[in-house]
Parts: sequence; C-alpha cells; structure tokens
Amino acid sequence: MKSVASLTVELDGAGNTVVRQLRSMAPLTLVPRRRGTPATGGAVVHLVGSATSPLGGDDLTLRVRVGAGARLLLRGIAASLALPGHGPGGSRGSISVDVEEGGTVEYLPEPTVVTSRAEHRADLSVRLADSARACFRETLVLGRTGETPGGLVTSTSLERAGRPLLRHTFEPGRQRLRASHAHLGGARVLANEVVVWDRDPEPRSEVDWALQPLAGGGSLTTVLTADTVTARRRLAEARAVHPAGDDLTPVGTAG
Amino acid sequence: MTAMPTVSLATLALADSRFPGGGHAHSGGLEEAVHRGTVSGPEQLAEFLHGRLHGAGAQTAVFAAAAAHAAARGVRPDHWSLLDAELEARTPSPAQRAASRAQGRGTLRSGRAAWPSRALDELLATTGSPHHPIVVGVLLGAGASASPTDAASVVAYLSVSGPASAAVRLLGLDPFAANAAVTALRADTERIAAEAARTAGHRPENLPGASSPALDLLAEQHQRHHREEVRLFAS
Repeated sequence: MKSVASLTVELDGAGNTVVRQLRSMAPLTLVPRRRGTPATGGAVVHLVGSATSPLGGDDLTLRVRVGAGARLLLRGIAASLALPGHGPGGSRGSISVDVEEGGTVEYLPEPTVVTSRAEHRADLSVRLADSARACFRETLVLGRTGETPGGLVTSTSLERAGRPLLRHTFEPGRQRLRASHAHLGGARVLANEVVVWDRDPEPRSEVDWALQPLAGGGSLTTVLTADTVTARRRLAEARAVHPAGDDLTPVGTAG
Repeated sequence: MTAMPTVSLATLALADSRFPGGGHAHSGGLEEAVHRGTVSGPEQLAEFLHGRLHGAGAQTAVFAAAAAHAAARGVRPDHWSLLDAELEARTPSPAQRAASRAQGRGTLRSGRAAWPSRALDELLATTGSPHHPIVVGVLLGAGASASPTDAASVVAYLSVSGPASAAVRLLGLDPFAANAAVTALRADTERIAAEAARTAGHRPENLPGASSPALDLLAEQHQRHHREEVRLFAS
C-alpha cells in the first residue's frame, strides 16, 4: 500500500497553534486532539497507525510542516509491528519534517517491534530553521520476546540552518553482529532521542545509556536495554540531566 | 598475465603499528569492555572486533575513501569542512570525536613530514584539527597516490588492529591469538573497503553511515572513568 499523509500547523493571530492542513491516508490517520494555546502549550496530534502496518510492500510517507513560532506534539498511540506482507519487497516508512523560525516540534511515537520476517526501512528527515527546536524519539524492539528479528534499517538526518547535526543510520544486522559488545551487546531494545533546543547538555554516561552533545549543536541520548520499560526509565534519567528537560513533554506521559 | 596488485609504501607505513601517529594510545572501547568483563579471552575479542569492524570500521572506511577520492581529484578547500561536518554528524559520541581528532593530529604531524601536499595544508587550514580517517585519505590520495580502496583498507584494518594489540596489553592475551582474530576478518575487511570505495565519489551529505550504539556507550563510559581513575588508554 502506498500512502501519503500530511500535516501543517501554524500560529494564528492570537498566538495559538492551529492545524492549517491535515490529510490522513490509510493506514496513516492523523487525529487532532488539542489546539495549542499559550496556556496549554502546543497543538497535539495523534498518529494512529492501523494495527497491521507496516506490512511488506507498504510505502508510507508523512510530511509535516511547523510554521514560525508554532508548537506541535505529534505522538503515537500504540506500538507498531513491522510484519512481512503479501506484497513484494520490504516495508518503508518515511517522515519529513520542516520547522520554521521559532517553531517547536516533538515527535514521540510508541516503539516499533521488528518481527521475524520483516524487512523494514524507516527514514526520518528533519530540517530546522536556525531558532527552531525539536525532539525526536525512536524506540526499536528487535523481535517479540524470544523472537529473532527480521531486517531493519533506520536512518535519521537532521539539519539546522542547512548544516548537518545528525546523520544516523542503524542496522541491527545478523545475530553475530547484534551480540557483539562493540555493536549492540545483545540488547533487544534500542532507544534514541535527539533534542535540539536552545540549551545543550554536558556529556553524561551510565552503563546502559549516554547523553551525548552533538558537534554542531543538539544532543543524542542512546539507550540499550533488554526491555521497553527500562528503556523508558533511562530516557527519563537522561531528560532529568538535560538543561531543557523541563521544557519537553515528559517521557511516558499520555497526551 | 595480469599484474599482481601493488601496495604503495605509504599504505604499508600508515597501517604499520609503528607509524608514529599516536594510535597506540587508543583501545577503541576495548579497555572499557575489558573493565566490564564482557571481553576476557580470544573468542570474545574476535566477536568484539567483528562488531567494531562493521560499525566504526565501516564508517571510517567510507570517509577515508571519500577523502582519498577528493584529494586525488583536487577539490576546493571548502570541501574539507563539508566532509568534516558530515563525519561529525555521524559520530554522536563526543569521546569518539575527540579520539578521532587526536589520532588525526598525530597522523597529520608524521604524515606531513613524509607526504606533504597542498590538499593536506588545505585540510588543516579549513578544519583546524582534522579527523583521522580524513587525514589518512588525504595522505594517500594526494601525496602518495594510492587508491580510495587502499585508504579504506588502512583505516578498516586500524579499527581492529589497535584494539587487538590493546587486548594483548590489557588481558595478557596470546599475541598470536589476538593477531589471528584480526586476520580472520580478512573477507569482511576487504568487502568493507570495496564498498567504501564504491561510494567514495558521493557528495559528503550522501555518504553512508553505520552507527554502533554499544560502542558509543563504551566510549562515553571510558571517558568518564578515564577522569575518575587510572586508565591505560586514552579511548
């Protein structure tokens, strides 16, 4: 199934963030939940994927634009399962996000579970204006409990004012590579959170997570754990030492 | 009859552990892995090196090949800052960026005396403190006229040979076993170098990336412990 969904939020004259344009296309459904006001914060839109996507053969694209000064929280509702499908080839999900000056976006999807015969590719491309702020989270679960995961490639490209801040391509690879302590160390869950805000953190590291300031600004939190509950806890620990942590939507809070 | 492939002296010299580039001071995360108890013998070392080659090794091979290609075709000086920024964006761990620049500085000092070139001067002028794989690529591509594959092979090899010799020092491993763990990766190393050469002419933003999250965590933890206690290696 080929599907293109899009969303644009902008600031209105009263300083509220409003949804200007929204197009859902099955299996990507966008549900506006709250208008953004100066008192409540940003607009909230839920991304509701169908339970059986992405399937092999699916090509799902989401385009998001956040206008100058607007604030958007885009969040997932349930974990998605990357499954083998009846269609040829793997599944692919592409998200592109543009944020204009002074705009803010938070993208907080639920985990993606890579099942045994999946061949999934996820691309995220983010372009930020110089004063834009952003938080993007990704949680990958390599197989359901006891299951060997299929193929997966995730790629994140994040630019600010045309300069690269993060180009992150990750492939869990085969069992031998996943077990290597120089690659995944046998972890089943990988969580990443990139935060580009007006303040950057100092490096902070523990055994299974690290908060890493990026060379060009912003930071990346990397978490490797055995389960999603622990991964969420580690993301929250990294948030707690990030100087902009209080400005962000809390980890694990329903929107 | 086809000619045997020749290896330039510069390629051999840069891959030699006695090349005075400062690589001996780095364990590539191995010291932290030893500290954690996840690498304690030759079998675990082999698995560690396999992972390291496919992540950090592949990533550095891509940039060494791209730098060799760029130096050989004669790019404008601003190309070096683009290449530098793209490598930085693919290296989220500040400890790994610092280790790469430290080894770049050492290699540049020695390499400049051996293989001076305009490209090398321009790399230094635009980036200040260039990254190791880019320095190796420029030394081989400009001054010594070796191929992008050679440059990729050198850094892919160094990505595992350094940690292997660190394992000998840290664990008292049999040097023959440690060396065998490196040479067992021959096919993977050659494939990674050939793949890196295939993308060497791509625009910097389109160069492939290969992240290794566990290695990032090891590098960051090493950096922290290095400040708090005595460590043998800088990274």
